[in-house]
Amino acid sequence: MGRALLACVLAGFLTGLMGVFVVRMRLSAIGYSMSHGAFAGAALGVATSMNPLVTAMLFASATAFLIGPVADKARLHADTITSIVFPLNMALAFVFLTLTPEIGLTSQVANVLWGSIIAMTNSDVVYLVTLSAATLAIIYFTWKELFAIMFNRKLAEADGIPTKPFIYLIIFISGVVVTVSLKLVGGLLIYALLFNPASSALQFLEDMKKIVIVSPLIGVAANLSGLVVSLFLDLPVGSCIVLVSTTVFAIAVLLSPKRRRMEV
Amino acid sequence: MVLMDSIIKLEDVSTVYEGERRPAIKDVNLTLERNELVYVVGPNAAGKTTLLETINGLLPLFRGKISVLGLDVLTQGRMVRCEIGYVPQDFMVEPGEPYTALDVVLMGRYGRIGTLHRPEEKDREKAVEAMRLLGVEELADRPMGKLSGGQQQKVMLARAIAKDPKILLLDEPFSNLDPESREKIPSRIRRLHEETELTTIIVTHDIHNMLKQCRRVIVMINGRILVDESPEKALATVNRSAAFSLEAIQ
Repeated sequence: MGRALLACVLAGFLTGLMGVFVVRMRLSAIGYSMSHGAFAGAALGVATSMNPLVTAMLFASATAFLIGPVADKARLHADTITSIVFPLNMALAFVFLTLTPEIGLTSQVANVLWGSIIAMTNSDVVYLVTLSAATLAIIYFTWKELFAIMFNRKLAEADGIPTKPFIYLIIFISGVVVTVSLKLVGGLLIYALLFNPASSALQFLEDMKKIVIVSPLIGVAANLSGLVVSLFLDLPVGSCIVLVSTTVFAIAVLLSPKRRRMEV
Repeated sequence: MVLMDSIIKLEDVSTVYEGERRPAIKDVNLTLERNELVYVVGPNAAGKTTLLETINGLLPLFRGKISVLGLDVLTQGRMVRCEIGYVPQDFMVEPGEPYTALDVVLMGRYGRIGTLHRPEEKDREKAVEAMRLLGVEELADRPMGKLSGGQQQKVMLARAIAKDPKILLLDEPFSNLDPESREKIPSRIRRLHEETELTTIIVTHDIHNMLKQCRRVIVMINGRILVDESPEKALATVNRSAAFSLEAIQ
């Protein structure tokens, strides 16, 4: 149970943190694609009895590479490439899962689809701890550039900041975070962890530094609440986490001081 | 005779936007010396904004050569942009955006500070000083999105100045200002230009202010430089030109 709690806290923290950058840099479509890339990779791992974490990481990285540098090189608009890659990854995921009839809807397949807190191993927790430390360090050292790019990419470029490497960095870290957190909520719901906390924090805060602190806290709270709800109601933990974080977002929208001012 | 350095040099430059076939600026030749203040006027779609964004390397070149501060913009664009204070046209921040005015001004210095370095107290002082010059220091802690269009424009000017640039590229930087500020701010920019030997290009539609503020005017039409003269001569040429009426540039 301690491992489950720790995994929930770390995954909520990491996805809540990276979600701020993904949402503010308007990389949401890229986030969906990477989430489903990780899903397809995990499905391949299950189908071929390889470590799903490794295959998920490979697929998420390949997706990040496709929608980042390759799309830039080919001068493909982000919408175009994500619209192609998103269904491709979903199709691949279902092909990989159905190509393994002897596995069927076993617990492993179910874990990939819906997530399972029990499936989180000690290694997963170690990955999450390492990733949290590395992500915090990277964000600390690159905060200035990320802050400027989140404000306006063109202005940041005009100020002499090389924006592309920083955007690729965020895409790559988000891909890794999604992959490592995949076991918790599953491939179909993981992107909700990325977007809901950040979108909620953005509803009622007007200071980017506070948003970067509050969004991971919302992620942690939603994950822990979702875990408790799932234990009480005996429902899949991933679904409960997403339902809780969506409720938080709905409440944030209803209570948002920004929205109230807009209605006046 | 005093020898002056050429700070900006464009040779037969054409720029084509992605997906377009017609160049937005065509065969442009332009040289600016150190400490020059030049106004650029022209009707809509004349290529004024394209000219500025070609100079700072935000738009890729289709043909020709640009050297800024002795650097090739094509290969050393980032270094060039670190030395340029740029205010884009019609830049507005949405209400609710989580940035204060001081955040925005301080960001202007980020390229100069360098990757992995953090802003220091002197950077903050520069930002506050620039805000003071534009008369917006009391707005420092206000959310940018809650400021009026004119206040935002002053903050954006402060951002460009806070950088301590060698070149200022200002794209219609006074369009949202109230009448009093339209008188004051261009004079302050000119004073700054004189005191710091800033090479400055200002795109404007305000012909009257232009006449008072500079000695050289570039008139653009259809992506080409039609006139490169003193304000009086430029205005006379514009008035005589059948290509476009004065109303078109105002």
